[in-house]
This record gives sequence, C-alpha cells and structure tokens, in this order.
Amino acid sequence: MSQSTRGQRRPIPSSAFAALLYGIMFAIYLLYSPSAITLAGITDLLNNTIVLAIAAAGLTLVILTAELDLSSVGVIAVTNVIVATVSTKVPGGAFITLILVCLIGLLVGLINGWLVAFLGLQSLAATLGTMIACQGVALLILEAPGGEVAAFIMNRLTDTVFGFMPVAGLILLLAVAGWLLFRRTRLGIAIYAVGTDALAARLSGLNVKATKWLAFGLAGMAYGLAGYMLGAQTGTGDPRISNSFLLYVFAAVAIGGTPLGGGRGGVIGSVVGAGILTVMQKLLFAVGVAEFYTNIFNGVIMIVAILFGNLSAILSLRQKAIMSQHRDGQLVPN
Amino acid sequence: MDSSAPILQATNLHKRYGATTALDEVSFSLYPGEVCGLLGENGAGKSTLVKVLSGIVIPDAGEIILDRLPYHPRNILDAKAAGLSTAFQELSLIPTLSVAVNLFLPKPKVNALRLVSMRSLEEEASAILNQYGITGVSPSALIGDLPLAARQRIEIVRAMLQNPRVLLLDEPTAALSEREWLFGLVDGLIARGTSILYVTHRLDEVRRLCKRCIMLRNGKKVLEASTAGMTDDDVFSKMAGRSVVESYPVRESSINDSAPPVLEVRHISAARVNEISFAVRRGEVLGVAALEGQGQSALFKALVGLTPLKQGHLVVDGKRVVIRSPRAARVAGLVLVPEERKSEGIFNDLSTAANISIPIINQAASFDFIRGKRERRLVERGAALVDLHSRYLPPNIDALSGGNQQKAILARSLLTEPKCLLLFDPTRGVDVGTKYNIYRVIRTFVREGGAALFYSTELDELVHLCDRCIVIYRGTVVAEVSEKELSPHVLLSLAAGHASEATQSMITANSRNGTSR
Amino acid sequence: MNDILTRSLLSSRTFKPETLTALLVLLGAVLMMLAMKVLNPGFGSVQQIAAILTTSIFLVVAAYGQGLVILLGGIDLSIGVVMSIAGMMIAGLTNGSNEALTWALPVTLISCTAIGLLNGLGVAFLKIPPFIMTLANGTAFFGVALGITAGSSQRTVAPALQVLMSAQIGGIPVPIVLIGWFLVAGSVLQSRTTEGRKIYAIGSSLAAARVAGLPIEALTIAAYGVSGLCAAIAGLLLAGYSSSATLDMGDPFLMPTIAAVVIGGACVTGGRGLYFGTFAGAIFLSALSTIITVLSLSQGWRNIIQGGIIIIALILQTKQWYLLSIVNRQLPGKQSLDGVLPQNSEV
Repeated sequence: MSQSTRGQRRPIPSSAFAALLYGIMFAIYLLYSPSAITLAGITDLLNNTIVLAIAAAGLTLVILTAELDLSSVGVIAVTNVIVATVSTKVPGGAFITLILVCLIGLLVGLINGWLVAFLGLQSLAATLGTMIACQGVALLILEAPGGEVAAFIMNRLTDTVFGFMPVAGLILLLAVAGWLLFRRTRLGIAIYAVGTDALAARLSGLNVKATKWLAFGLAGMAYGLAGYMLGAQTGTGDPRISNSFLLYVFAAVAIGGTPLGGGRGGVIGSVVGAGILTVMQKLLFAVGVAEFYTNIFNGVIMIVAILFGNLSAILSLRQKAIMSQHRDGQLVPN
Repeated sequence: MDSSAPILQATNLHKRYGATTALDEVSFSLYPGEVCGLLGENGAGKSTLVKVLSGIVIPDAGEIILDRLPYHPRNILDAKAAGLSTAFQELSLIPTLSVAVNLFLPKPKVNALRLVSMRSLEEEASAILNQYGITGVSPSALIGDLPLAARQRIEIVRAMLQNPRVLLLDEPTAALSEREWLFGLVDGLIARGTSILYVTHRLDEVRRLCKRCIMLRNGKKVLEASTAGMTDDDVFSKMAGRSVVESYPVRESSINDSAPPVLEVRHISAARVNEISFAVRRGEVLGVAALEGQGQSALFKALVGLTPLKQGHLVVDGKRVVIRSPRAARVAGLVLVPEERKSEGIFNDLSTAANISIPIINQAASFDFIRGKRERRLVERGAALVDLHSRYLPPNIDALSGGNQQKAILARSLLTEPKCLLLFDPTRGVDVGTKYNIYRVIRTFVREGGAALFYSTELDELVHLCDRCIVIYRGTVVAEVSEKELSPHVLLSLAAGHASEATQSMITANSRNGTSR
Repeated sequence: MNDILTRSLLSSRTFKPETLTALLVLLGAVLMMLAMKVLNPGFGSVQQIAAILTTSIFLVVAAYGQGLVILLGGIDLSIGVVMSIAGMMIAGLTNGSNEALTWALPVTLISCTAIGLLNGLGVAFLKIPPFIMTLANGTAFFGVALGITAGSSQRTVAPALQVLMSAQIGGIPVPIVLIGWFLVAGSVLQSRTTEGRKIYAIGSSLAAARVAGLPIEALTIAAYGVSGLCAAIAGLLLAGYSSSATLDMGDPFLMPTIAAVVIGGACVTGGRGLYFGTFAGAIFLSALSTIITVLSLSQGWRNIIQGGIIIIALILQTKQWYLLSIVNRQLPGKQSLDGVLPQNSEV
C-alpha cells in the first residue's frame, strides 16, 4: 500500500479488491439468510469472524517482514486451554487471564523472533518447531477438550455494548484503528522497509533483527488474544490443533492482499479476508452443504485465495506501471 | 582546531573472510576540507573499506580515529552519530516507501504520540529537494517509481543531510548523466570544511575533484599521492600491476562475412526494450555500451527467453527461432553468462566440477546414472578451455575467488557448444590476471567460428576487445561505432545520450534498412 | 599439514562433511539408547532393538520423499494424509484377502503418486508456496477420503502385507533388510543420477537453474510425485504392520519426516544434504519414540520433545555450515574477494 500520495492518482490498494469480494459474498449470504442483517445476525457473524481476524492480523505483521509463522495455532491452543482452566479459578479471572494470555503470546512470539532474527534459523522450520512444542504444552495443561471459561468472558464478549455495537465489532474497530496508528510509527515503517529490502534497510540504519524480533513478538501477542476470544466463543478449551484453521489464517492474509514475499499489504486487508472466509463458511452451511465436504472446501479455498492474492497484486502493480508510463511519457528505465 | 591534523585516521585496518584478505593492513589519513579519491579495480577492497568505515563490517584489527576520538561503529547509526555518512553504491533506498520517508530513515521525526506525520515530512523533504537542486521529483513519489539517476541523487543528498564531518561517496556518478550537479555540491561541502572520501574508477573525476588519492590493490594500499602530475599510465600500471598496453590480447579480425550472421536481432521489443535491431557476425565480438539502467540488462534477458518478447524475432544462423526459455535458447545456440554471478550464475552449494558439468550432465551419464570418469573428463576439458587449474574442481565453488568462479561459468557455457555467447559484464569483480584470461577465451572462441555479444561497464574493455560496438540509451540502439571510431570518449558521450552528427545519420540510415551492419 | 589433510579430504569423492553429520546422528541414537539402558536395565534387548529398526521403516521411506522435496527448496505437508489414504485404500480394496493384491497394489501406488503430482503442478505452474499447496491438497483429499469411507475406520489388510512385515530372512526381520536396501537405492537415486544432480542445483539457486536452462517445472513435479509414492509405500507397510488401517494412522508421521530431514543435516532451504543423513535421523527418531513410550510420557511431552528437537537440530545446523565454510576456504593460493559480504554474514 502506498504511503500518502497527494497530488498523484493513487493506485487501488489490493485490500480494496478484498472489500469488494466481501460485499459480494455478504450479499449472496443475505439471500439465503435474511436474518443476517439484523443486529443479532451481525453480532453472530462478527463473533464467528473475530478469532480468525485477530490471528490473521498478527500473522500479517510477520509476513510483512518477509518471514513465515506457523505457530499461530499452537499459541491459540495454549492460551485457549489457559482461559478454560484459569479464568474460573481466580478472582477477577477474566482480566487476569487476559493479561496472562497476552504475556504468554508475547513470550512465544519473542522466542520465535529470537530464533529467526538473532539465531538466523529459517522461519518455516523454526515456527513449525514452536508450534509443535506449544501443542505439547497445551496437552499438558488440558489433556482433552474441556475446562470451563468464566461466564463473564463468555457472555459479555459475545454480546453487544451500548445497545447496538457488538463487542466483537468494537474489538475489530479498535484493532483497525490501532493498525492505522501503528503504520505511522517508526516500527511500523521499519517493518515495511525490512520486508521490502533487508539489505537496503540495514544500510539505511534500521535494525533489521530487532524489527523482525518485535514483529514476531506482536504477532504472538495477537495469537494469544485470538485464543482468549476463542474461549469466549466456545466456552471450553481445546488443546488440539486444526490444520484447517492454520490454512484459514494464511488464506485470510493472502486474500487481503498481503503477498507472502513481504513489503506490501496490511492488517486491514487480512481482517477483511477473515470476514470473507467466515461468510463463505456460513454460506455453505446455510445452503446445506454436507459437513464432510468442508475439508475439501478448506483445501480448495486456500489455493484459490493465494491465486486471488497473486491476481490482485498483479492488477495493482500493472496499474502502477501504466500510471508511471503515462506520467513520464516515455519508458522509465528500471 | 589545527587544520593540518587529519579528521579521519585509519591505522592497519585488517579484514579477512576465511582465507581471503580483503583489507591488508590499510592505513590512510583524511584531512579537513579535502576530497580524497579512493581508486582500485573491482575486488581491490574499496567496497570493504567503505563498509568498515560505515559500520557495516567490523574489522578484525586496526584502529580508526575520527575527529580525535576513537571510532568503533557497530552500525550506520553509530557512524552517523560520530559524524560519518555514506552514499552507497548499491543504493540503500527502500523502493516501496516515498522519497520523504526514505530521506529521513531510520528515525523520521515523530510527534508527541510517537507517530510520523507524513505531511510535515513531505514539506521538509520538499524544502530539502529544492535546496539541493533536485527538480521534478515529488516528495510523495515512491522511490521504486523514479528513474535510477533520480534515486542516485536522493541517495547522495540523504548522506549530506546531517552535515557530516566525513562523507563517503561510493561510485556516486554511476547512474548520473550530468555530473556537474554533484561537482557543485562537492565544492560547496568542501568550502564548509567537510572531508570527502570519493570512491571511483573514473580518472577524469579524480582529477577534477581530488587533490590527493589513495589506491588499493588486492587489499593493500599501493599508492597515496597527490593527483597533480599523475598520468593515466601511472595510475593504470599501479592499479593493474602492468602497463595498460599489454593488458589486452592482440586483436586480429576473424570476422567471416561470407556466412550469414550468427545472430540477427530484428525489431525486438520487450519490457524496457524499445525496438532493437542488430546483427552479430561469425567471428565477431560485438560490444554493447550503456550507462546503468538503460535497458541492456533487459535486452540480454530477452535474448535468452528469460523475459518474453512483445514484438520482433530472432534469427540464428539464417533460421528464424522462437525462444521462450533459456533452455530453448541453449538449444538454439545462445548461452548467457549472467550479470549477477552470485545469485544467477553459480550453484553455491555444489562443487566447481558440478557447476561446470550441470547443463550437459546427461552427456556424462548412461541410463541417467552419472559416470564419474566421464564427468571428470568433461569437466577437465571445460576447465582447460578457460585455464582453470584442476585443483579448483573438487571443492565447493563458493570457496573460489570471483575470478575463478567466473572462469567456471565460462567453462560451463563453452561446454554447451554455443553459437553465440552473450556475456554480461563478465569481468566484474574479477582480478586482473583472470580478466586477461577471459579476454583470451573470448577471442579464441570467436576465432574458431563463434560469435559474442559483450556488455561491459569498462569502456577500455569495449574499445580493445570488440570489433564493433553498439550503444544503448533508454532502451534503444542510438549508435553503432565501427572499429576505427572506437574510443572511450566517443562511447561515453554516446552512452550519455549525446549523439554526434555522423552517428545521427547512421541511426536514420539503419532504421530505414531495418538492420544494422 | 592442515592444508594437505584438508585437500585430501576435499578431493575424496566419498567423504563429505555431511556424511560426518549423519554418522554423528547415528552415534547420538546409540548413546541415547545406552543412557536409557543405564536408567532401565531391562531396556535394550535384541528384540527391542530389532523392533526399533523395524518400525523405523515407515519413517525411512516417507522421509526420503520429504527429503527430496526439501532438497528442491520446498516442503510436503501432505505426507501424513497420503499415508493414511494408501493404508485405507489397500485395506478397502483387499478386504482381508490376498486375491485383489495384484491390482490393488498398483492402483494404490498410482493414486497416491497422483496426489503428489498434483502438489507438484500447483507449486511449479501455479506458483503456490509449497507449504500451502501441500497442506491444502492434503486437507482436500482427506475430505475426499472421509467422504468415500463415510467415516468407517477399521479395515483389515491383505495377509501378504502382514506377513511381509513380520517375516524373517536368515533370522533378520524383513523390514530391516528392506531399510538397508532402501538406503542404498535411495542414496544412489538422489546423489548419482542426473535428475538428482539437477534437483540439488535447483535447490541451491533457482535463478541460476533458470539461466542454465534446467527443467525446473518437470523436476519439481517429479519430486513431489516421488514424495507421494514414498508416502504411499510407507502407508502400505504401516497397514501391513498394524494389520488394519484407519484414516488418521499417518498423522503422527508427518512432523517426524521433517524432523528426520532436518536432524540429518539437510539444509531446510534446499541444495544440500545426503539421504544418509535423513536415514540416520529416521533411526534416531524411531529410537527416541520407543524410549518415550517406555518412559510412559504423555502425548504432550512427546510433542514438546519433538518440537524441541527440530529447533535444536536447526540451531546445530547453523554451526555445522559455519564449520563447513571454514574448512572449504582453506584453499592454497586464494585471491582477494570483491569486498562483498560473505554468505553467512547476517543482514
């Protein structure tokens, strides 16, 4: 996404294509489920979206630095079981658990970041390792799905506030607002720089390692939050890892217009991407597609998502190329 | 302050990479308000010295005193804080960020909320661009959208922004077509007492700007003298260790006009290539001269099918060919010796022998199983063609020097028995002895009936090695220079876009014919 | 002296530093079992060692395909699913008798290879990142299998396969003979064929492979196809060993295939590594798995150890390549570099 370009026609950011797609999907969904437009329906939709959206937002930060992170589902498993075991046993449990999961997520993320940025390990393999280890920890805390999430969390976070605003929606708005501010901090700018060209970033004086380390850390914290919200949604803890969910997190980022190569895109697109995937799932359910087809659907949709992401990136770049040619009136070398 | 005391004093800087010594006990001084040239061949150690001074590389030994204080930078920020700024040869700008943001990296100004205000950043950037005489560039433009010359200017300006005591300029005019802009800035800086270390291999710039210069060769300092009274030959012989006259093999023309041209390029257009036509005859070395980023890289890539042709076609040995991939190009007889040796040339996990044999490994195999003896014979044949000693064959290729790596790539290309070799700056980063070797290999190849298309950034190479030379500017051929007219001066001015009258008429004549002769 | 030693080492065809890593891993496995014996004297009987080697065959075979794909610079996350599908298919088609085996066997192998080829097509032509393509493909086919088998799990397998896994030749269990044979065949195919050499090259530098005109797409598809085939064979053997097949029987093997390749010293970005290393890694993990079972550790601990081992192996690898590069650079008569940062300098 380009920084502000006053005085120049800005090319359409690839997240706009995602937003368009969301609009279309939602319209179709509305046809099958007219109650979707009511407050209850919107609240329900947002509740279904929020876990994926927050996880995808976290992953976006890492992908922007041109690294990969498979540990999201691992952290979610750990924090989810913690919410289900701790929140009912401690006074003020909801709040304390929230702090706890954020810290745990941050810790795992910083470990990931240390392995990748400071030890130089390849990010796919390293985060695969931490994902497995995290799942092990989750299983130690809770051997099988169960536990109990504090009623406060379950009821309040899935409800509405001020009479018209779903809490999930509020959280998403806060996340988006936070992102818009973060993009203009030095760290936010550094993340884009590092993902585009790490060598140039270093020659410009940026601390590449610290930037990546912090990106992983913040992503981990987001995953922790996602696990917390999962507890709010389901009311229980589940130590198992879903491959499908991992696919969905990446699909959300890809559909939202953040290429896996880094340097371009943003959180807003990923949140919209999460919305698209959720609506699609609900659509399939509303249409009456059999349960076991969902696996096939998950697999295919992931591939389509990547292709879509590539396509919108290509369209975005082609737009820019055409615009720059017109501006100079001649071929611009390089 | 005592103006005769050096502002920067480096003593016995030493840096080794494995068994290679990049800097060998280098000592020099830089005085306030002077411009000192830093000269040397590719591979002499200039780059490493720049990186050591800028804080990117930590030397193994040696001391540096900057402004009377010990100087041990561990990164760019340390260097800047101590008063040393660098404009890098490989530009350090981020293409997806705007001019304004890049100018103020790594720490753009933040408000009370720790947020960067784009608007105020761009206003400041605007003022700076005006101040330094850069016109036609909007502060909100993305660096990636700007032409290379503009980017180089911004890189230079950024280094000057914090009024450094010492400024390092590494090949600052590589992409600039008007150098007066830079010379003016340099004069201004010196008047204010800044010291400049000016890295270049262009002697005319050294003479224009520098009173003193230092020269590195093989990591050692071999010259530190005033520039007044230095002749070109003095410099070349110090740089190369031999006088310039001897460094090129005697050129006897082996051009065979009776056969059809080995390669005919007819009106091809591709990304950044605008209707180019030329022909390479049997026995000919056709040179390509161009400044940075004028489409020469795109041309070579298009010729071997790495990028698609939008129009036009190729004719090899009189037969029209369609080339959609380097594989097809190889079958048609065109082989590319690529620009970036490290990333596009060598397979750095494989041995040198494996690197040489890889395209034709099937020839050393029966039923897909590689026969060790056959491969060895194949590789030794290739190594002999390029004078590569057999002791370099078993180890990993990344243990070899740049020159030997390049020889290996050449050996690989020759073993595929090409009709025409496409060589893109093959002597970049190669030591002098190997350069001479490579020249011999090329001339031998064309003498035995091959043809070569040869791009080089060293004008002297083009003048001495090529039978003819085409000049590319902005993606088209703007001139063709025959053997008689070849000189560095002619090539440089044509490459910069100044067409002479004679060549103007030649261009019109050529475009009417459709091919160049 | 050091120079002569180095030169002779480097010019020897059979000795490579990667061989050293593999031997170290095998040594590690032995040491681990010895330590276990000290703690638990009942451990380490001949039958137990034989069992460890026998059960290592699944990983030995499946990790070969994974190793080939990783060599190319990719990864295959569909191996677990393909193993299960192969097992279910052979069980479903043979249904407890040997009659259908002659045609059921090739059908199973070809179908699973086809899944692998599909992976390869997606990676080579659609340019989808390998971890996504294989994960998505695997998930999709899992769904297909789920639909076809309609969730019914237990199936019985042709007796011939069961016999294969439990028979002996001259007192040695057949699987142990097979893994020895597989090591030789696999190593030869990977390191001594033209295709194998080209795969090493592609994994080392994709751009250079393109310029050199190597058949990148064809070899990518082939590598993923082989991975599918190996997963299928492993699945068949597993079904034979367990005498039955379930739809999730391959799941516990996916991560260990990656771990085996990494432990064995192969570079996770491709271009380097011997099958001997992967083989050693597979044996090591098999021994480890048995020890974990003997110690009655819960699944949670098993996962933590597995994840930890992958990370530790990765860390050790960075040290290994550093040592390798030092060894490689001790060349006489080396000339100066062109001042560019060396490979292992960090950005």
